[in-house]
Order: sequence, then structure tokens, then C-alpha cells
Amino acid sequence: MANQAEVSPRKRKAVEDELEMEASSVAAMTTMNMNQPAAEESEPILSNPSDGAGTSGSAEIWPGEYEWSCCFRDDEIMQQQSAIREEAAKVPYVGDKDPLSALEAEFESGDPILKEKIRLLGEQYAALRRTRGDGNCFFRSFMFAYLEHILVTKDADEVERITRKVIQCRLTLQSLGYTEFTYEDFFNIFMEQLESVMTSMSIEELLSRSRDQCISDYVVMFFRFVTSGEIRKRAEFFEPFIAGLTNTSVDQFCKSSVEPMGEECDHVHIIAMTDALGVSIRVVYLDRSSCDKGELAVNHHDFIPTAASSVGSSSSSSASGNITEPFITLLYRPGHYDILYRR
Amino acid sequence: MITLLHDYQASRARLFKEYKEVQREKSADPDIQLVCDDSNIFKWTALIKGPSETPYEGGVFQLAFSIPEQYPLLPPQVRFLTKIFHPNVHFKTGEICLDILKNAWSPAWTLQSVCRAIIALMAHPEPDSPLNCDSGNLLRSGDIRGYYSMARMYTRLAAMPKKG
Repeated sequence: MANQAEVSPRKRKAVEDELEMEASSVAAMTTMNMNQPAAEESEPILSNPSDGAGTSGSAEIWPGEYEWSCCFRDDEIMQQQSAIREEAAKVPYVGDKDPLSALEAEFESGDPILKEKIRLLGEQYAALRRTRGDGNCFFRSFMFAYLEHILVTKDADEVERITRKVIQCRLTLQSLGYTEFTYEDFFNIFMEQLESVMTSMSIEELLSRSRDQCISDYVVMFFRFVTSGEIRKRAEFFEPFIAGLTNTSVDQFCKSSVEPMGEECDHVHIIAMTDALGVSIRVVYLDRSSCDKGELAVNHHDFIPTAASSVGSSSSSSASGNITEPFITLLYRPGHYDILYRR
Repeated sequence: MITLLHDYQASRARLFKEYKEVQREKSADPDIQLVCDDSNIFKWTALIKGPSETPYEGGVFQLAFSIPEQYPLLPPQVRFLTKIFHPNVHFKTGEICLDILKNAWSPAWTLQSVCRAIIALMAHPEPDSPLNCDSGNLLRSGDIRGYYSMARMYTRLAAMPKKG
């Protein structure tokens, strides 16, 4: 900024000259085409407004390269974003199940704290499954982990329970004023996957569907609708978290950070989704944090749905009991979620 | 039971729902008239009324929608066919700089609500991300009159029926 202030007087002069030319042409054109009284036309249109804002603001308004508008920079940002997407697209939406040693190999020459934590992880977890880092990794990881769990366990009680929750989520969106046709396809695709894993679907089929752009993105979008609905329904509860995170309103947050595909998940999203669906998630944090005293440990946090959100379904205290260990475990590395498998 | 879902089937189904909604709600929003191409459900046009108390008041502006096969996961491409002088609309191509048509898009939007958002943009230009720099610069320099008269002139020239 200081730098700019130094060069600005000369540049500003040039800009102002140019402006004057523009102003006269603007004035000429308006004279031609608007039937305004002549007296008004002769007023210099671009003279600094009398309130003085023009003078003090001109350095701000006309920075050095003013003609390079934001949309040029938007283009650059979009180029970079597409480069990131291309890079990310080399990984399938949902990868194969890899032994945990694959993670070890990744950090072979890395930070000693991370290496030790990976060793500790190995005591409890046997494998991991990577997901594409496209901003949807949390929802995509959850999607696969949840459907795979149902596919393996054929837990009919759980399917019945979540089906009730999904109906509630539908009602939530309805009561919030969402147009039904904007979300129903996404709900239907999720329910179709749920029914299929419960009946006939093989793990290979689940994997190929999870890699299918359309099905996979539709299910991710279903979770985004569910999350957004829960946040809006309990706006008062979520408001302070959102204010701390982005300094925007609940509505704006949902519109710009929850509903659009590719927007990364924060704790707010995770809390809302686990509450809305009543599914617990354990998140294991693989970062370089350590405490000075005591032994190194891998931190985890369990997202347990709050009782408040399950008030609606009175019969929800299913056979699994109240406090259970989450059957879904995700590995968090700063900026990314993958799926972890217990030993 | 297994639905082999393809993008274009999903988007066709969705667009058909939007079509029915538009037919049903024709009178609900008198400022917007959305019309689907007779032979192609991926092509729509809209006529929107310039919002009152803006230089676009009294004008009728035509928008062209081109809808990608991945709709509604991807946004429709929308541009002005009617010439308009507005900071966030490209003067030559009619391209619109609006977040919901780019990174802030979500399937919760519809063609109808996109039209409403464009009308809102006409009433509330954002000169800090201009596609039409001349227009943006007038506003950013505080020259409301200059902006207004230019915008008004083009509304009269391009968006209003010729008198006599």
C-alpha cells in the first residue's frame, strides 16, 4: 500500500487525464441520447463530488493497474482451480483399500512425529481408503464408509432408523421453503443406494458406483442438502460457530459454503450432518501436534449426534444402545479426509 | 431396481420438472417469462423486466440459457441477448459475472431463481468485480449520474419498444 502511494501521484494524473477524456465522451453521448435540459449537461460530470470522497478515495479507487479488473484475476484463480482439479482427478473419487503401510511409505522421509503417529495408528487400524481431494472428500468418505458398513453388516435396524431420519430431513427442507424438485432426486439416489447395499449389491458394485461421477456426486449433494437443512433448522445453535468461522450469516454460509459442490467441510458441517442423520463419526487427526509431556498419542474426536436432534423420532433408541463407539472412522490430515479401517 | 443413471437423463428429468413448474406458476412472477426451446430442453430463453427505480426500469431484457448435461450439478450458462450497460455484464458478449453462476452454484437454484438473482444484480451492481470496466469505473469513481445516463441510454436503445 505504501509503495502504491509513492507511485500514485503521477499515475493518478495519467488516469485522471484519461478519465476526463472518458467523461467528455460520456457527456457527449448522454447529450446525444438523453433529452435533458442543457443546463444540466454543462455540469462537469466527473468533478470530484463535493463531499470530498473523490479525492481521498481516488488512490483506492484507481490502484496502479486499474484496468485489470477483478475478472482477470478471477480467470487466473479459475485456471489455478482447474489445475488443482486436474491434479486431484488423477485419484478416483474413492480409491482401493490400501494397507496402512501405504501411508507409512508416503511419509517415509517425513517428520518424525508423523512417522511415530502412523506407527501408533497401525496398532489400531489395518487399512485406509483414499478419496479424491476435490473439496467433497468428507462427504464422499462418509458416503462410502456408511454404505459399506450397511453392505457388510446388513443391519436392518440401522437402515430403518436412518430411513426415518432421511424422511425427517426431507420435511425439514420442505418446511424451510426449498422447492421439492430441487432436492428430491438427490434424496432418491441415496435411498436407492441404501436399498441396494442392503439387498444385492456387491462391494465391487458399490465401489464402481462410488466412482461413477453422477451417482457419487448425487449422493454427496444429498449430504450437502441434509447438512444445510440441519444448520438452517437450528440456526440459533449454529450461528455463533458460523460467525467465528466466516463472519457471515447462517443463510449466506449455507448458500456459499455448504450447498455448492466442492466446498470443504468444517466442524460445523460434520456436527450438522451427524446430528441430522444420527450417525456417529470418529475422526482421527494425523498432524504434527504433540504434547511436551507424556507419550505421543494420536488424537481423535468422536462426533456423537446430540440428543436434541433425535427428539423427533421417539423410537430411535435402537438396539445399538445410547453410547456406542462410532462405526465410521475417518482419517483427517490438514485439509483432507480418508477412510480408516479398524483391525 | 438398479437405475443406470446418466447425467443427461438426470438433467432432462430435472429440467422437465422445472418446465412444469414454470407452466404452473406462470403468473406468480410477472417480471420473469421463461420459455423452453420447442425442440431442445437444454436451451431456454427468458424475458425479464428491468427492476423499478433503476436505469433499467421499463426495459425488457432477453436472456439465453444454455444448460450443460451435468445440470443441476453444474450451473446453466446464461447471458444477456439484449444489450445492457452494467458493471457485471460483458458489453459485447452479454456474459454475466455472478457468483451463483460460477463457484457458488448449487442445485438448490432453479432457472427461475437464477432469473430473480439476475434481476437483483441489475438493481445492485457490484462495481468491484466488473466485466464492463467503463461501467464499473463510473460507479467506483462515484459518478452515479454518468453510470445512470449511460445505462438509461442503452435501456432506451435496446430494451424498449420503439415509439412511432
